[in-house]
Amino acid sequence: MTLSRLALWIVTALILFFMVMPIVIVFVMSFSDSRFLSFPPKVLSLRWYEAYFGNRDWMDATWNSFLLATLTTLITVPIGTAAAYAANVSQSKLVRRMQIVLLTPVMVPVIILAAGLYMVYAQVGLVATKTGLVFAFAMMNLPYVFIAVLAGLRSFDMNQEDVARSLGVSRLTAFMKVTLPQIRPSVITGGLFAFIGALDETVVSIFIAGGENQTLPRRMFMSLRNEIDPTIAAISSVLISISFALVIISSLRGRKARTGHA
Amino acid sequence: MTKLCRLTLMAATLATATALPVAAQTVTYATDGGTILDVMNKTLIKPAEDKLGIRVITDPSADRYPVVKAQVASGKPIWDIFDASAGYCARGVMEGLLEPLDYSLLPNAETVPDAFKDEHSVGLSAYATVLAYNTDTFGDAGPQSWADFWDVEKFPGRRALRNYARPTLELALLADGVAPADLYPLDVDRAYAKLEEIKPHIAVWWTSGAETAQLLVDGEVDMLPLWDGRAATAVGEGAPATFTRNQAIMEYTCLAVLKGTQNKEATLKFMNELLDPKGQAGWATDYTTGPLNTAFAEFMEPARLESLTTAPANIAIQVPLNAAWWASSEGEAAERRWLDFMQK
Amino acid sequence: MTDLSNAAGIARAERAEQRGYLLLFLPALLLVLVFLGAPLGLLFVQSLREGDSFSLIHYARILDEPIYWRTYSETLKISLIVTVLSILLGFPLAYAAAVASRGWSTLILALVMLPFWTSVLVRTYAWLVVLQRRGIINTTLLNLGVIDAPLSLSHNFTAVLIGMLHVMIPFMVFPLYAALSKIPQELTQAGHSLGGGAFYVFRRVVLPLSAPGMMAGSVLVFILCLGFYLTPELLGGGKTIMVSSLVQRNVELYLQFGAASAVAMVLLALVCTIFWAVDRVLPVEKIVGMR
Repeated sequence: MTLSRLALWIVTALILFFMVMPIVIVFVMSFSDSRFLSFPPKVLSLRWYEAYFGNRDWMDATWNSFLLATLTTLITVPIGTAAAYAANVSQSKLVRRMQIVLLTPVMVPVIILAAGLYMVYAQVGLVATKTGLVFAFAMMNLPYVFIAVLAGLRSFDMNQEDVARSLGVSRLTAFMKVTLPQIRPSVITGGLFAFIGALDETVVSIFIAGGENQTLPRRMFMSLRNEIDPTIAAISSVLISISFALVIISSLRGRKARTGHA
Repeated sequence: MTKLCRLTLMAATLATATALPVAAQTVTYATDGGTILDVMNKTLIKPAEDKLGIRVITDPSADRYPVVKAQVASGKPIWDIFDASAGYCARGVMEGLLEPLDYSLLPNAETVPDAFKDEHSVGLSAYATVLAYNTDTFGDAGPQSWADFWDVEKFPGRRALRNYARPTLELALLADGVAPADLYPLDVDRAYAKLEEIKPHIAVWWTSGAETAQLLVDGEVDMLPLWDGRAATAVGEGAPATFTRNQAIMEYTCLAVLKGTQNKEATLKFMNELLDPKGQAGWATDYTTGPLNTAFAEFMEPARLESLTTAPANIAIQVPLNAAWWASSEGEAAERRWLDFMQK
Repeated sequence: MTDLSNAAGIARAERAEQRGYLLLFLPALLLVLVFLGAPLGLLFVQSLREGDSFSLIHYARILDEPIYWRTYSETLKISLIVTVLSILLGFPLAYAAAVASRGWSTLILALVMLPFWTSVLVRTYAWLVVLQRRGIINTTLLNLGVIDAPLSLSHNFTAVLIGMLHVMIPFMVFPLYAALSKIPQELTQAGHSLGGGAFYVFRRVVLPLSAPGMMAGSVLVFILCLGFYLTPELLGGGKTIMVSSLVQRNVELYLQFGAASAVAMVLLALVCTIFWAVDRVLPVEKIVGMR
């Protein structure tokens, strides 16, 4: 019994090491002074951060990606929330049946989405345009908002909204004032998923981004296909930090909201 | 309903906001990535931007020709100008993908020899596929010819080859004993048969130029054919390697404008700056290549000239690639056969 | 407000309300129908056309030409291996997280989340750094004198497996953990008190009860593997060609949209079949019951 427990812990520790080690290495490597790989780095420096922040092409791509991720979030959050709300309260069979349609973007392999979007966009002149990219990202990340908000709504008592309405408040006001504040953690989580999803989207970017509308992951992929440029380590560390900050902030807020609720 | 209206309004605002044009005149240039682009940025692209008051967006991409084809077919190309191995410009003309050039806007092209320019494209620089090997593994006694590269008994070690038919088929035929003068038209069957021999010994099939420099620097492979500029860069960065120009396949890159470009004039002006002899000299000083604007030589250190692709001593031992053959239907078929070969 | 008193009015108001819901649902539905429907539709149409006429040539090619077959079988092989390995590595993690105290459990899950929230591209880069010939593993082993010559870890099948496994493990751990953490402690204790050894309890209690989670995780991992692009492309050294690379090359390198479409359609059909089979033939309860 204790022996098997010990074995379990050792195995667990080893697998966790496998999971975390590469990320730690990238983080440490980003502070290396040398173009060549040596671990741990002999001299620490911010050379690769300077290479990243001082390069116009990288900065353009970064700015583009953040803009696209913000626009994607601004589109997916309201329409995803509206759809989840409708799915939650509607009796209509049509709406219920259509729910599955909203989940298909995560079920279709992304290479198929990328190739298909590229072919369609090529015909209508949307390749390498912000409009094309934003709508593709919005479509791909909509399911995350939908699922998150729907889960939030399921645990919310809709009678509260009905009470507000019976007091003569309009439906929209009732939603904004009563429902939304209570499902806010779910909406934020959904929006966060959409934001990070759009920021990280690589395969679709490879196919439909380009020229002025370059994205950060696309430029990283092109660069990685060429060489092991330590600048990528610096960019990666920045990205990891951003994702983490966002996830931690949202989970802290979520926890606060939950404990406040209970 | 109000919500829906607001959404529509928001979407409309977004659409207009994203459709706003960028202030400065921009030219998008598709080229290779890595060190070659870093050097070009410094010696050719940045000076051109300052002089012309334009913004050049570079889009590094390893396989440019198919993208050019797709972009022109869409009627609204994203790229304005690209460079490619010369055969592609020849093919681009046949397939109607290129804008005719206006040489009145290209005064710098005057000193480019006639053999390297035509109505639709102008030569940028020559380069060669050389044979490099790891000096930690072989010392100075590394492989000196493509036959040596194929000789796995005499030269054991990890090998890389380009994941592409051109000029790998030429290498195979030279290895098989075909004389450089008898190379074209290529005996495609014989080339692929020879490639089958070496296939099990290939550790890496490389796809881009910068990748090869990395392979040498990291010692990931012991020998490989790669472009001379990349090889020289790798050696300069301290790679334990050297290379021979013996039997190196020499070709050149051409510059061309995509048909349907929105800013042809700015693009041609930018093309002219890429041919600037002084800029090309700066480029060739930091990167091993062979600028085709012959006027560049007067701005060069004589010693440096000797090591360039186009130095007479080098031309004598290198084998020129026949771009016209590759542009022919025979060449295209040979190229398509590559995927089958790789998947077998 | 006044006609709410009569039944017809209520029915009308009800219908209006349902229409309102439909309108709320519509933008999301349109977004997906247009931006997913159009690409899939175009792929389908193009897969059935050669030039300007209807043709099955692109599908015939998949059947006839061995390279296509080989690519599919290679993809299925890799996906299967990665799925099995991610069960083997994911199970101990999920199990440990399920039986550990709250603090440890949170730590384990957080360490699984760390890579999960890191972009696939970044992680692939990390593996390039680790696995190279002069990479961290090889230098360490050489310095320790464990090996004389560097191992071939990158630019090959092994590298692709390692890189994909690293991406997939979290997808296995989360559903497994969800299933395992629902198993009441009393049940395993009961197993022990009936004289069952640790292995017996594990096999007869833990394993069957975790089957739904394992099933969900496996389906997820397998399907994600089938369409995976980045890791094989960057770590495979050009030798490990999966279906996704075949699609990409046919689109971007060879401009064979018809061929690419047919390859994509067959992949899509494969994915749909798996979803369908899991949903119809093997309901989750049945799997549990069969054990």
